[in-house]
Amino acid sequence: MTFTPRRRGITTEPLDPRFKKKKPCPFKAADFDEIDYKDIETLSKFITDRGKILPRRITGVSSYFQRRLAKAIKRARYMALLPFVAQT
Amino acid sequence: MKEKKPKLYEGMYILSAHLSPDAQNKGFEKIKAGITNRGGTICKIHDQGKRRLAYDIGHHSEGHYYLVYFELTPDSVTDFQNELRINEDLVRYMHMKTEKVLEELKFKQLPEQ
Repeated sequence: MTFTPRRRGITTEPLDPRFKKKKPCPFKAADFDEIDYKDIETLSKFITDRGKILPRRITGVSSYFQRRLAKAIKRARYMALLPFVAQT
Repeated sequence: MKEKKPKLYEGMYILSAHLSPDAQNKGFEKIKAGITNRGGTICKIHDQGKRRLAYDIGHHSEGHYYLVYFELTPDSVTDFQNELRINEDLVRYMHMKTEKVLEELKFKQLPEQ
C-alpha cells in the first residue's frame, strides 16, 4: 500500500497527479494548424485575469501548441492587443 | 549577383488615434507608398478601425489598426522599417513573414468544455 495524500475536509480525491485524468489538447481537438496572434478571442482563454499565460497543466494544451500559444500571446502583447499586466 | 526574390509579409500598424481622419488617411497612404515605392505589391488591406490599446503607449490609449499583406524583398523591408521608425504618427508596427494571405480575419473555434 502506498500513501496517497488527501486534502482534508475539501475533497476525497487523491492529489497524486498519476491518478489524474489527462485533459485532451483543445487545439488538437479543434484541428488547428497554427495559432494566430490576431485571434484574441482564443488567446484570451489561455491567460489569467491578471494577464499571465496559464500553465498547460491547467489547460491541457499539448506541448507543441503551448509553445506556439506562448509566442502568439507575446506577439499580441507587443501589439497592445493583450495586456502585459492587467489591473484588477 | 543574384537578384533577391520578394517574399510575402504581413504588417500590422497602429496609427495614432489623436490624428484627424484626414491626417489618418494621409499617414496610411504614406505607409502604403513606402511599400510600393520600394517595388513591392500590396495584396490585401484589412482596416481594423479604432481599438482601445491593452496598455498605454506613450500618450496613446487608443489606436487605429491596419493589417497589410504585401510582397517585398527582404532588403527593402529593412529599409522600410528604418523609415517607419522615424514616423511619428505611427505608434507601433510589426512585420512578419507569412505563407498565405488571410482574406477574412476569421479563426477556428475551440470546442466547448
